[in-house]
Amino acid sequence: MTITNVASEVIGSVWKVEMNVGDAVKAGDTIMILESMKMEIPVEAPVDGKITEFKVQPEDSVDEDQVLCTIES
Amino acid sequence: MHNRELGSEMSDAGKKDVAETPINEELYFRRVAALEMGGKEAIERQHANGRLTVRERFSELTDKESFREVGTLAGSGEYDENNKLVRVTPAPYVAGMARVNGRPVAIGGEDFTVRGGTTFGAARRKGGQGGFIEDLAHYYKIPLVNLIDGAGGTVTSAKRRGYVAFPGVHGFERSVQLLGEVPVVSAVLGTAAGGPAGRAILSHFSVMVRGTSQIFAAGPPVVKRSLGRDIDKEELGGAATAVDKAGTIHNAADTEEEALEQIRRFLSYMPQNVWELPPVVPCDDPVDRCEVALRDIVPEKRTQPYSMHDLIDLVVDKDSSFEIQPTNGKTVITTLARLDGRVVGIVANNPKFYSGAMDASSAHKQIRFMELCDTFHIPLVFLVDVPGFMVGLKAEQEATLREGMRAVYVAGQLTVPTITLVIRKCYGMAGMATCNKNDIDLKLSWPSGEWGSLPVEGGVAAAFRRDIASSDDPKAREKELEAELRAYASPFRTAEAFAVEEIIDPSETRPILCEYIALAEGRLRANLGPKRKAGVSP
Repeated sequence: MTITNVASEVIGSVWKVEMNVGDAVKAGDTIMILESMKMEIPVEAPVDGKITEFKVQPEDSVDEDQVLCTIES
Repeated sequence: MHNRELGSEMSDAGKKDVAETPINEELYFRRVAALEMGGKEAIERQHANGRLTVRERFSELTDKESFREVGTLAGSGEYDENNKLVRVTPAPYVAGMARVNGRPVAIGGEDFTVRGGTTFGAARRKGGQGGFIEDLAHYYKIPLVNLIDGAGGTVTSAKRRGYVAFPGVHGFERSVQLLGEVPVVSAVLGTAAGGPAGRAILSHFSVMVRGTSQIFAAGPPVVKRSLGRDIDKEELGGAATAVDKAGTIHNAADTEEEALEQIRRFLSYMPQNVWELPPVVPCDDPVDRCEVALRDIVPEKRTQPYSMHDLIDLVVDKDSSFEIQPTNGKTVITTLARLDGRVVGIVANNPKFYSGAMDASSAHKQIRFMELCDTFHIPLVFLVDVPGFMVGLKAEQEATLREGMRAVYVAGQLTVPTITLVIRKCYGMAGMATCNKNDIDLKLSWPSGEWGSLPVEGGVAAAFRRDIASSDDPKAREKELEAELRAYASPFRTAEAFAVEEIIDPSETRPILCEYIALAEGRLRANLGPKRKAGVSP
């Protein structure tokens, strides 16, 4: 079992969360959508696995490199 | 893994000499000593650290049997009381001429197995053998390849000399001059500091290996002594810092072999010197390949990003793209590629990162790439989707405005033909950095193109503040004004005024670009030679 932190590559805010804790994800699936510079930025799963925790919710501000959620695989 | 026979070609040649002409016994002895480098144990240590020896690197990089060594016998001999040679320690540097992709290059690299690749104090000239191959590249107008694996001078050289050298006297003047004459490429293949690190920066293209190479102005012991901080060398100068974060080195590779392959690839796009055009290669990808997929690549919703990398791949010759600095300044993509076999430099904004807004690191990256292409007569294609400069406190602290305007300044001085193709947004001063607009250079657009000083939304609220505030229904009035202005924003109205030269069907992009790049050849040929530098860059 490894835990992967999914971090934001941009400064912005959380617009929509598309998945729930416990959902299975495949690498490349969209987990949530951030808004940055008036653009929707999808956050994609870097690995296959299961979402174990969300560290942010809609409307939260996020920084570069901030962890958004964790995936167990 | 790296168990190649050491310099087998050379030792065979040496043996043949001995068999046929016994007087060459000393030459044979000295050649063998050179090929043995720092000895078996030192070579094993080098391999155990996941690194090749300098001679293995040469044979990996250069065309088979093309290496002609210069300075094979340089080193320090030990003699007995009768002045008979007992042993030779080779100089910690190997150099010569070789071919890469069939074309000659000057090549040199530190031998880490001999005294850790420290500077060899050759009496002949400053810079020793490294200085010699720089001169070779300069006088013969051939590319220079540096394979860096050393930390430069040591304080012991002052002891030998009897005084300390003044920085800059017989320093980097040749390295600096070469940057305007021939392609210079460097691979950082060990821990580089000091002079060798400086030489890596004075290159048109540099690459390092993740995990086994580091580069910094000063290593951990100096940091500890100067700032009292403990930091390990990978964190201080590994690829995550030097490539991804800082852009000190252009590209990272996972293995030494891949790093050397990247050097071969980079050189394949370059002319031998600034007095020549880049090589044209045969192309089996049809020039008239129209990609219907390009018609829907830009999402209808203006707030959704798309893959600019996919877009580039659909346009350029198949598998011809070689991205420079893919992990730094990610709001812009800079890539060498080919159109009908001719080399082009592509600068494309990346909507996936900050909407493609230009920040300080992407401005640096774009400037460096534009200067590279301008120096080596490579026409530029700008694929534009830029909303402006990056905004916010961090961006201002990084001098985004100044760095961005420097990109505008450098774009304004380009002499190579440029084609500006607007994919979606082209706004403000960052938009100006995507064309050399006062010249004959073309401005094309897809129907999805939109441009102006600033986007309508936001702009209306600022420009019509009083009008909106005094209205009975300010929200409705703002919407009304936005709608009115948006009608003027149609790219077709600008085309009516011949203020962009053409609006094209996205599927025609490849044929049209190929045609104009072929056309550029005569103009490029008429402007060969070194580029004049003018003015003070902001």
